Parts: sequence; C-alpha cells; structure tokens
Amino acid sequence: MNNAVFILLTAPFVGAVLAYVLGKVKRELAFWVAEVVGFVLFLASVVLFLKYSDTVIDIDYTWIAYGNLQLPFGIYIDHLSIVMLLVATGLGFLDIHFAHDYMGEDPDQPRYYAKVLFFIGGMILLVITKDLIGAFVGWEFMGLASYLLISFWYYKHSAANAGMQAFLYTRFGDIFILAAIALLMYYVGTVNLVELNKLADAGQIDKTIALVVALFIFMGAIGKSGQFPLYPWLMNAMEGPTTVSALIHGATMVNSGIYIVARLFDFFSYTDALFVVANVAALSAFIGSTSALVQKEIKKILAYSTMSHLSIAFVGLGVGSLAAGMLHLVNHAIFKALLFLSAGAVIYIAHHQKDAWKLGGLIKTAPFVALFMAMGSLSLAGVPPFSGFFSKEMVVAAAWEWGNGFTKTFVTIAALLSIAYITRLWILIFLGEPRHESIGGSVHKPSNLWMRLPLGILAFLTLFISIWQSDIIRYITGGEVVEPHVAGLTAFMLTGMLILFLIVVGLYVKGLNLLYKISSHHFVQTIHQVLFNGYYVEAMITWVSKNIIVGAIAKSARWFDTYVVDYIVNKTVDFTYAVYKIFRAGHSGKIGTYMGQFVLGVAIIVIAILIIVKGL
Amino acid sequence: MVGLGIIFAPMFGAALVYFLTRNAQHIAKYIALGWFLVLFFISFYWYKHLPSDGSFLYLGEFLKVPQFAFSLTLQIDALSVAMLLLTAALLVLVVFTSWEEKKQAAYFSLLIFFSGPIFGVFMTTNVLWFFMFWELTLVPMLFLVGIWGAENRIYAAIKFFIYTHVFAMFMFVGFYLLFAQTGVWDLLTIKEALLATPALIWWLMFLGFAAKLPVFPFHTWLPDAHVQAPSSISVLLAGVLLKMGAYGLIRFTVELMPVSTLLFAKWMLIFGLITTLYAGFLAIYERHIKKMVAYSSISHMGLVVVAISTMTYDGLSASLYEMIGHALVISPLFLIAGWLHHKTHTWYMDEMGGIMKKAPYVSAIFILAGMAALGLPGTMGFVGELTIIVSAVKAYGWWIAVIAIAGLISAGYIIWAIRRVIHGPMSEKVAKADFSMHFAEKFALSVFAFLIVYFGINPQPIFDLANKAFSFLGGM
Repeated sequence: MNNAVFILLTAPFVGAVLAYVLGKVKRELAFWVAEVVGFVLFLASVVLFLKYSDTVIDIDYTWIAYGNLQLPFGIYIDHLSIVMLLVATGLGFLDIHFAHDYMGEDPDQPRYYAKVLFFIGGMILLVITKDLIGAFVGWEFMGLASYLLISFWYYKHSAANAGMQAFLYTRFGDIFILAAIALLMYYVGTVNLVELNKLADAGQIDKTIALVVALFIFMGAIGKSGQFPLYPWLMNAMEGPTTVSALIHGATMVNSGIYIVARLFDFFSYTDALFVVANVAALSAFIGSTSALVQKEIKKILAYSTMSHLSIAFVGLGVGSLAAGMLHLVNHAIFKALLFLSAGAVIYIAHHQKDAWKLGGLIKTAPFVALFMAMGSLSLAGVPPFSGFFSKEMVVAAAWEWGNGFTKTFVTIAALLSIAYITRLWILIFLGEPRHESIGGSVHKPSNLWMRLPLGILAFLTLFISIWQSDIIRYITGGEVVEPHVAGLTAFMLTGMLILFLIVVGLYVKGLNLLYKISSHHFVQTIHQVLFNGYYVEAMITWVSKNIIVGAIAKSARWFDTYVVDYIVNKTVDFTYAVYKIFRAGHSGKIGTYMGQFVLGVAIIVIAILIIVKGL
Repeated sequence: MVGLGIIFAPMFGAALVYFLTRNAQHIAKYIALGWFLVLFFISFYWYKHLPSDGSFLYLGEFLKVPQFAFSLTLQIDALSVAMLLLTAALLVLVVFTSWEEKKQAAYFSLLIFFSGPIFGVFMTTNVLWFFMFWELTLVPMLFLVGIWGAENRIYAAIKFFIYTHVFAMFMFVGFYLLFAQTGVWDLLTIKEALLATPALIWWLMFLGFAAKLPVFPFHTWLPDAHVQAPSSISVLLAGVLLKMGAYGLIRFTVELMPVSTLLFAKWMLIFGLITTLYAGFLAIYERHIKKMVAYSSISHMGLVVVAISTMTYDGLSASLYEMIGHALVISPLFLIAGWLHHKTHTWYMDEMGGIMKKAPYVSAIFILAGMAALGLPGTMGFVGELTIIVSAVKAYGWWIAVIAIAGLISAGYIIWAIRRVIHGPMSEKVAKADFSMHFAEKFALSVFAFLIVYFGINPQPIFDLANKAFSFLGGM
C-alpha cells in the first residue's frame, strides 16, 4: 500500500489514542499531537495530489468472507477523493490550530482532540473507500464523533440533548444505507461504487432497483447533510464548541452527503433519482435561507446558512451539473470554515456571548476579525470577485437551464437571500453600539498566531481560489464541461442582491425603529415565529417520536408484555396452585378423611368390577 | 479422558473446593481462575486440532451401558468449539468481575460446578446426556441468582428455574419421540436413521430452545432473572445460557431435521422478527437500566433467530458471529448496569445522570459497548448486523431489509440511556456516590472492550470458524 494512503488511514486513529493518553499526562501535549497529526494528514493529501494527477489508486480487499458471500473493503482514490481529502485535512488542520486558544482553558482537552482526530479520520475513510460498506464505516464514525463532540459539554442539558438528536436524526438516514447495501448485494452483487457507476453507464442494472437504492442512499445523505426533513439537528448542533461547528459544517460531516451523491453521480443520473435530489434540495434551500433571516444566535444563523448552501450544492448535482455542485461544495467549505472560526473569535472576544442582539460595535475592538468575517460574508452572499459568487452563479444558471420551475424558483430565492441574512448578522455584531455589558470593559484579545493566522489563510482562499476555478472543475470532472449560460442572469442576481443589501442596511443601521414597528405587527409576528422555529419540523418530529413511537407503540408493547404475556405466565402458576389445592384437600391428616376415602375407593373399585363383569 | 474429566471433575470437585476454602474464602477465586484458564487452553487446543473438513473431532465414548446401546459420546465440531471458547473466556472474565463478591467459597464452588455441565452440553452428541447436562446447568444458576441476587431474587430464581425447566420438558418429549422412531440416542446416528420427522417433534424442539433463547412470547423470565441476578451471573446468563438455546436450535433443528426446518423456517423468521422489534420497543420504554439491557439482549437474540431461519451457509455463519458478538457486547453493559446500581442505589436511569464526570473510564466503556449494541462500525455489533441483514435479504428477498429498523430502535434506547445515565447534569444520587472500582473489574471491562473492537475490525477469525462449522450447507 502507498505510504501516504497508509498514513491517512491509520494516523487519525493512532493520533486520537495518543492525544488522549499523552494529554492525560500533560494537557498541552494533546493539542500538539493533534496539531502534528493534522499537519501530517494534510501533507499526505498534498503528496497524493501531486503524485496522482493522472492515475488512480485502486486497491481491492476482502474484509469478510462468510458462507458464499464476500464483503469487500477496497481503497479508491481519484481526483474527487483528493479534492475532498484536501478540504477535510486542510480545513481540519486549521481548525485544530485555531482551537489552541479557543479551547485553551478547557480542562477536557485530551478528550476534545481525540474526538476531533477521530472525526477527521472518519471523513478520510469515507472519501477514500471504494465500496459502500467502507463508506458506511466512515459515515458512521463521523456520526459517532459528531455525537460526542456536540455533547462535548455533556453536563449541560441542552448539549446532551443536541448530541442525542444529532445521532438519532443521522442514524435514521443511515439505516437506509444499510438496507441499500443489502439490496445491492442481493440484486446487483456488488457494492463497489466505481463498479456501480460503470454498470449504470452500461445500463445493466434494473431501473427500479437502482432507483430504490439511489433514494435510500440519498436518505442517508439527507440525514448527514441536513436536508429537509432531517435538518433540525444541524441547528441544535451549535451547542458544541464553535470549533466543532466549523469542523462539522466546513471540513467534514455535512459534505459527506454531497460527496456520496457525487461519487455515485452516474448511478444517480441513470435512475432519475437526481430529480428527487434537486427538488428536496431546492425546498431545503428555501427553508434554510428564510429561517436564517430571523435567528438571534450567531451560530444558528450560520447553521441555517449551511443548510441552505449545502442544498444549493445539491441542486447543482440534482440538475445534472457535477462541476457546479462540487465547486460550490469546496467554496462553501472554505468560506463556512472562515465564518465559523471568525464567529468563534467573536464569541471568544465577547466571553461566550452567542446572541447577536447582545453584541454590537465590535469593529473597534476586533477590526481584523471584522475584516475576515466580512470577506467570508461576501463570499457567502455571492458578491464578485469572491469565490461564492462564481459557484453560486453556476448552480443557479444550471438550475435555470435544466431544472424545473420549482427548483429554479426556490434556489434563486435562496441564493438571493443569503446576502440579506449574512449582512444582518455582520451589522449586528460589528456596527452600532455595544448592546450588552458582557462586551464592555475587558475583552479577550485574539492572538495573531493562533487565531488571526488561520482566519487570514481562509480569507485569502475565499478571495483567490476562483483564479483556479476552471482548473478545479477540470480536475474534478476530468474534462471540459458544458458550462450553463443564461443571458442576463448575473445582472438579475446582482440587482436583486443590491436591493436586498440596501434594505437590510437601511433597516438595521438606520431604521431600527421602523424594524421594531414592522415586527410588532401580528401577521409579521406569526411568520417570524414559523421561520424562527424552522417551520416547526423539529416540533413535528419530536411529537411523532414522543407520542407515536414511545407513547403509542412502545407503551402498548409494554402494556401487552405486562398484562398479557406475563399475566398468562403468572396465571399458569395460579392454575397449577389451584389444582394442587383441590388435591391437597384430600390430604388433611385426619384419620376420618382417610377412612372415608378408603371406603369410597373400595366402593368405586367394587362398582367398577361389577360393571366390567356385568358388561362381559 | 480429558473430555470426560473436564465435565465431571468440576461437578465433583466443587464440593471439595468449598470445604477446602470455607475458612480461607479468598483462595476460592484463584482456584476457579486456574481451572477456567485450563478450560480455555484445552478448548483452544481443540480449536487448533479441529479436522479441516468441518467434521467432528472424536473425543471418546464413556460410561457405556451396553444393554441399552447407551453411552456418553463426546465429539466436537467447529460450532461446539466456538461455544466452548466463548464459555471458557466468559468464565475467566467472570472471575475478575466477581472479585469482591460475598461468600466467595460457595460462590466460586458453584461457578466451578457450573463449568462442568455447560461444557457437557456443548461436547456431547448423545441427546439424553445433552438433556441431563442442560438441566444440570440450572442448578448452580438457581443458587447463584437466589443467594447473591438483588431484592427480589427468590421470585426471579424460581421463575427462571421453573420456566426453563418446563420448556425443557417439551424438548425432552421431542428427544424421546426421536428415540422411539430410530432406537438410538446418538445425534449423528439419529441423523442417519431419520427419514421424515413429524411436525410435532420439530415444534417440541423449537419450543424448548425458543424459551431459552428467548423468543417472544416465552421471554418474560429473562428480564426478571437478569435484573435480580448479580451482574457477573447476568453475563453468564446472557453470554452462555442463551447461547445454549441458539446452539440447540442449530444442532437439533437445522442440522438434524433440515427438511422440517425448511418447512417451518417462515415461522422461525416471524418469531425472530417479532422478538427483535418487540423487545426493542420494550427497551425504549424501559426506565430500569438493567431491564433495558435485558430487552436489548432479547432483541439481539431475535436477530440470531432470523439468521438461523435463513438456513443458508452465510446466514448460519452470520448467526454464529452474532452469538459471540452478542455475548461480548451485552456483558459489559450488564456489568456496568449492575455496578451503577450498586454504587448509586437506584435502578432508574432518570435518577442517574452525569456519571461521565465521576467515572469517565466506565462511562467510556459503556458508550463503546452501547455503540456496539446499536451496530456502529468498528465493533462486533456492526459486523453481526450487516452480515445478518445481507444474508437475510439474500434468502428472503428485498422486504426483509426492514430489519435495518432494528438498528434505529437500538440507537433509540442506547442513545437515550447514555443521555440519561452518562451525560446530563449530575444528579444528587450520583453526586453522593463513591465510584471507585476494583482493578480486577476494570481489567475485565477492558478485555471486553478490546475484544469488541478487535473482532469488529478483524472479524475473519470468527468467520473462519463459523464457515467451518456450517460448510455442510455449502451448496445453499
């Protein structure tokens, strides 16, 4: 096996153990182990990038041979994997670096870094495996790691609940992938992702089976990438440390759903499942972007924007443009990591105040963070020349060219609205006067090396990565792609964005009074509530699990078990006891009873004999 | 003679151990540990010397009664050896987990006694001896639960004893009918002489084993017995005694009466499916930590029944893997559940909370074992679940993929349990408790954790054994 591949496979897990063990000896060591391992992983990915520009790594391995079946666990690294590796390890490394200060005061650092490395390891495993089984292993590793990291501060009710929710929501999607593996083994005989694409290209899979399998895999992607209706966990996941949010939303977990669809792109397009992908994603994009408009917490706004932007990437895939979808995934990963880390810096400065309405005026205390966050925001909003502009434009153009009316409308709205919510967020944090005492007086100063450097690198990337944009597209797709071109779209988008920008600036900088007046109106209040609660999807899911699954099914199973099954068991005992009592009555110990029984017995025998004799 | 010795030496030696160590209680556990290690190494020796074609390793014929053509025939194949290795390993670990048990002389003498008949069950092919050993395992268990158990131990011990005994009677009638039909008591000879088996025999056998497994609706003895038993005995109940049911099901239905089994496989499947889902939902509703684990155990045994019902080479291999996986996964959960009750003096999960802060090591193992129970990759639980689902779909078609839901239900109760017990703010009862743990117990838990992960990443050694055990089904 290639050395770099070997390092990528083992280093995160060995590193996780080392970080924990050494961290228990001396707390700082945990960070240094993670830092070194993170850097080594990034180097290994770069080595792969340089060495395998025109070949792929392809290793077959049988993991389990049982009975007549073989379950494979191969390695397959092509350009798509390498891009994902660079994103995961590069952003992962910066995230670890940033955590030096952000998590610096936490006593549980060994645990933190062990989980982070495990998390990155899961993502690496997902993107370099050849088979759906291996992908599922990495997929579930991330599920576990995110669960443990979201509930990192486990002693808080909210964090413990959020972790539980994240695990169960994503698990709900995951069991569909498990079923898909079984169906593929049975109907197609292979779970090899590369092979599946080839079979689909050759048209050798039954279309119905392929459609069911594709939809099952997409269910898994819905869970992991926070699409409708399994998105609420993504928002509550904000209970974890902000560096974890950056890791989940930028480098690793949420990208996995998009990656798996991209990896199986030919398979998906063969089955028309892409139609479902596009429509679900468009709906999610709309939900995410509208809900982001009214949230109060910095991180929740960013979380809804993640949902919305992942959906935009999904729409790109769904309408048939692998290049647009993947490009937006990469760009989003970078600017979202930047935004989350800047938000982390803000929260660090403001002594863990997360409510944007209680911040304000931070531009004076943290001008650099304000600048970096502005760059991330512009990229997210899709303002040229930042990276977000190009990829978002490409997705929207693709949707206009190939998508149906629903997809087209919703993805355009979502793309436009991003400027509104992100501008609102930036204004609330950095402009105006401080609105809360927690940020008056002393503030934490972000250090250059640990906080500003990673932010600077990311900000640089958001500005300049689009220079290599066409190279990236060619690298991923392996050839020239038909770029969708819709006349007048750019002008339309930019005009729309400018109008929204002016409205938001007007309302939040100059017209706060007007804003209060509007929002106190009854009708606006209702809409506000719906959006603020994410369209009540979480409430509905909670209601179903509480009242149907636990309250009805599990409760009636319990009732049945106690009052029917075990009741019969105990009644059998009572019955035996009753029979025993009847017979016991004959054994009273009194001589008279025995005499009576003796006489009765003799009489019965005599009568019996007489009957038999007479009968004869 | 070695075979005969390891069955009967402990049965007679147990009394001796008791009288020797009555006045020096702490020695008993070392004797037990030594003996169980001997058992493990002998089993391992047999494992290394199994015939490569999957046939039986002949150990001898003892206690002959020529008048009735009756004798204690000892021979083992890969399936038996898998069970023997598992039993011996669990017995060794159980000594560590009961390191600080009260009345050690009696306790360990009973454990030593128990090792005799349990080995007999897996080693003999004579059905009458099989039945006698089967019944004899109940005796030490009755006392172990009845004396060292929790508050309601007498009820649980007697319910357990009578319940499984009554159902063993069905099995016994089945054995007798087999004898009446063929005139021999030896399993392998019966198999050759047997032409067609009436449905009655199959159902009698199935009932006997179903109650042991346990299968819905014959499962109600298990939560009671598990809850009241000391944790180490729960480990043996779940790890070994339930496996007797699965072992019997494979030996006496699948291997002995393949035609009838094929005929009734659908019923077996239905029982297995209901058990898996029903027990899963019971576990979701449960507040009592050890009952939750007990229902989880039943739910996983349901999957084993589903795998056995496929009657295919890969399905049975998967079932054997899951049997071993279940034993190793559920044991630490039982141990920790019992330990938590011992420390916090409550059974109810909502009265615990925040254990992580006070006992991080045990919490980590609880989470790991929980993850294995819900089938997370990298653990034995995942491999078992995956192989069972794949082979069940292969045998029954697409619709059986719904058992993937079991993975969601188990996630539900495990994660919720972790939420209530390990995470969350510290409850008053937890804050008051002293969570120190003896080194021996920590060691045993670590061994379990290691095995769960090791065989979860490298499952092939177990599957090699399983493939050998079921190679006679190679064509299916």
